[in-house]
Amino acid sequence: MRGIFLPRKAYHANVLIWPRQFKVVQIVIVRTIFRRLVLSLFTLLLVSITIFIALDVLPGDVATRALGRFATEEQKAIYRNKMHLNSPVHERYMIWAANAVRGDFGYSLMSERSVTDIIAPKLRNTLILAMYAFVLHVPVTLILAILSATRRNTLTDNAISVAMLVGLSIPEFLLATLLLLLFAVKIPIFPTMSVLENVKSYGDQLRILALPTLTLAIVVSVYSVRMLRENLIEILSSDYIKVASLKGLTTWQVAWRHAVPNALQPTLNTTALNLAYLMGGVVVVERVFAYPGMGSQLVSGIQLLDIPVVEAIVLIVATVYILSNLVADLAGILLTPRLRTL
Amino acid sequence: MMQGALSVSKFQGRFLHKAWEYFLTLPASLLVGGLILIVYVMVAIFADQIASYTYNKVGVGLPFSQPSREHLLGTDQLGRDVFSRVVYGTRYVLVLSLSGTALGLVVGGLLGLICGYVGGLLDEVVMRISEVFISIPFIVLALVVIAAAGPELSGNPLLLIGVIAIVYAPRSARMARAVAMEVSARDFITVARLRGENSWSIALRELLPMTTGTLLVEFSVRAGYAPVLIGSLGFLGFGAKPPSPEWGLMISENRSAIIIAPWTVLGPGIALAFLVVGLNFCTEGIARVMGRSVQRAPV
Repeated sequence: MRGIFLPRKAYHANVLIWPRQFKVVQIVIVRTIFRRLVLSLFTLLLVSITIFIALDVLPGDVATRALGRFATEEQKAIYRNKMHLNSPVHERYMIWAANAVRGDFGYSLMSERSVTDIIAPKLRNTLILAMYAFVLHVPVTLILAILSATRRNTLTDNAISVAMLVGLSIPEFLLATLLLLLFAVKIPIFPTMSVLENVKSYGDQLRILALPTLTLAIVVSVYSVRMLRENLIEILSSDYIKVASLKGLTTWQVAWRHAVPNALQPTLNTTALNLAYLMGGVVVVERVFAYPGMGSQLVSGIQLLDIPVVEAIVLIVATVYILSNLVADLAGILLTPRLRTL
Repeated sequence: MMQGALSVSKFQGRFLHKAWEYFLTLPASLLVGGLILIVYVMVAIFADQIASYTYNKVGVGLPFSQPSREHLLGTDQLGRDVFSRVVYGTRYVLVLSLSGTALGLVVGGLLGLICGYVGGLLDEVVMRISEVFISIPFIVLALVVIAAAGPELSGNPLLLIGVIAIVYAPRSARMARAVAMEVSARDFITVARLRGENSWSIALRELLPMTTGTLLVEFSVRAGYAPVLIGSLGFLGFGAKPPSPEWGLMISENRSAIIIAPWTVLGPGIALAFLVVGLNFCTEGIARVMGRSVQRAPV
């Protein structure tokens, strides 16, 4: 991995003193970014091949699946011709991949509609849900992590730690069901199903999305609170924090102004993973609330063996994962001088 | 004679005393987690004695009857005893999650050790492939594997074990590889190489003992998530098939009745949550004993 193109020396030492070396650093960064981009694209290519083999080649005859058991041989032959099923696997993959790059994932086996048309609104819904959950998880994470890091080993910290461990242990579908039981059945303030069709106002949308958002935000926060707490504890023990508190700043001022900005960078990775999780892990939560997103579509696609739809969704999820990891890596490189030589 | 007996008992006494002292130094999380796990293992072993009915016996009470002395957790829509089903489910969930995790860890761990030690082309190829699997989130990857296996295998416990192993192996491989690369630079590995040992024997006899701590923590993190994965798959309808007493499946079967009979959902739900809490407490404890930090990620 290391140093295919790059020397292993650290260049950051006198970055700001000597302009010529500053240029060197820039070249190194550009090269690193370029290498990451190429590697990500390569991984994406491999992912697409894997998905194609796993879903299109392995589960047997596509024609029988699409037309049902009672189709005649002639019907199957016509179908195979139409869908290029007689060509060898690598040619079929080429056709599929070339179309996928242009945003054309073929036609659904069930409804004959274009997969892109089916998925686009679902992708939008999932993105809305993921965005709300992500926005909600940021303040929750910050408050809980700062609380437990500044009051380390007190009752507050232990309570938060145990709560996080329990939160880690409750599966999403159970958490969603419990929230449903509590806030939709016992105290009916939110709807049991998140159907978007009868949304009239923005308030309606918020109310409908409240429970799935809450579920996802809790699940995601659990990981980032643990991560941020560990980083904060490490930073809070350093000298400049002592200076800041000796200056007379309050604990929260110290934490907020001096510790959190430095603790955020290592959290980037977790944040990227969280974003990726929000794209894929919503499967179960969407199912519980009957929310018309990509997760629900994926599950019904697999149930109906609607392979083009499943392939498209898995490819999109994997792309988002690879992209968010790439962005986190690049942001990490740009934010910490030490990593620029990696 | 007398003295011999005395010294034996003295030795035993000292040994027990040392064991007890060591036991006292263990972190509380490990003790609590271990206790929970022991209870679950006992329930799984003695399921036949604990459960008052078999898991698929229909109509042992009126459908949706309240929890009572006869039916500790009431009955579900088919009048099956929920408590007995939860008890038998323990067996199912424990066996599947532990064997799946173990399989994934053994395959992935060995591959990772070899890659980390040998490096080169093999390493590059294996790591690229594992990256592919890692870029697809847990649950989506599991669904893809199930779809690829085809409808004939659906619901087969062996398939579920395979799914867990496939999901975990690439992640374990990366973990083992990182440790192996770190250890490979040490002198005793060079010495072993100079002795003429081949790569496999170095990986197994020199590297593996050094990585047990990391792999143990890894195993326990993964084992803690495996019941969730099995439950989620069962909940979505791709895991266990009815009338199997798998907890996720039970929750999904009874979810529509949650208003009139919440115990049918809460029973399996609490059983699942406590098992995972126990496993996670164990993880924290083991990590503390081994002096390692636990790496967790949501995907």
